[in-house]
Amino acid sequence: MALRGTGEGTRPHMRKIVLLLAVFFVFAFFSLSTASAQVHARMRVIRASSVGSSVDPSLRDVHTDLGSLFSFTSYRLLRDETLTLSLNRPVSISAHEGRIIIESTLVGLHRGVAELRIRVAREGKDILNTQVKLSPGRTVFIGGPRVRDGVIIYAVHANF
Amino acid sequence: MRAKPNEALARVERKREKWMKNSCSSVSKFLEKYFDGEVTDKERILVEAHLQDCSSCRHELKSLEDLKAFIRAPVEEAAEREDFPWVWQKIEKEIRLQKKLTPWQSIRSWLDVSPLFRRRVWIPAAATAVILLFITAQIILRKTPSYPDASVVEYVESETDNVMVYQLEEPRVTVIWLLEGPEKEHAPT
Repeated sequence: MALRGTGEGTRPHMRKIVLLLAVFFVFAFFSLSTASAQVHARMRVIRASSVGSSVDPSLRDVHTDLGSLFSFTSYRLLRDETLTLSLNRPVSISAHEGRIIIESTLVGLHRGVAELRIRVAREGKDILNTQVKLSPGRTVFIGGPRVRDGVIIYAVHANF
Repeated sequence: MRAKPNEALARVERKREKWMKNSCSSVSKFLEKYFDGEVTDKERILVEAHLQDCSSCRHELKSLEDLKAFIRAPVEEAAEREDFPWVWQKIEKEIRLQKKLTPWQSIRSWLDVSPLFRRRVWIPAAATAVILLFITAQIILRKTPSYPDASVVEYVESETDNVMVYQLEEPRVTVIWLLEGPEKEHAPT
């Protein structure tokens, strides 16, 4: 019984334990990094126009944010989606009867900042490519594609 | 005058007892060696001849056997319970080293974790791993941005139209605006 856990015989096994723990931590570190490389992004598709004066109740914040920059009087919510973005897996949302597509791809996630690559295409042709760093609490608006009587605005807000 | 037969028998018996007594004292010094199997052939014959006639020495020999059994049983029982894995592993390792293992055998030997499962080190090791993993996870999953939001837009490009970027800190809003001309719009049919 006195041999247990004592003497020189223990040392090589302690090295084994330390090595196994090190391997475990390296594996756990990369597993966690990979597992956490996923963000939920709220994507709202908005139609803004200067016709009428109705503001969708769920778009009060958009109206407040953009009111000082643009002179649109009407904001209508077309779609409100929560996208689960995984690393390098593009997710698309269509608007304007499928003619305009916005494709979002998570390309990086570093210490609470998600890097999104966003591509906007009209009828299959790219009209805008951008990459943004999105931190919690920040909203990125991507607007400009014209539709009848107004423009399409995408409001991207990350939740993670 | 002739002695009576009973007296003669008694005398013989006394002589025999005296001889046995002397014989016991001479044999007893060989008895333990005999018990341990360390006597010579001559001594063994002497002891065995004496034991046939001497109940006292037989009893003494029996006591030695009982004592041995009394000691051996618990020792063997304890030895069966304890397999001394570390001792055996060390011995096996030494044997393997003497055999001059190939590099591949050495690696396999080193990676052999089976003795670890026989030890009670995994409970504290697992507890330590869980604690360290928890701390590491907190660091990895920390949501504090490592840099300011000054450069939210890394790049923006459009082959068809001009693009403008607005960035406000209060509210924390970034606007990327495509200055698309009216001729690009195709009215739905």
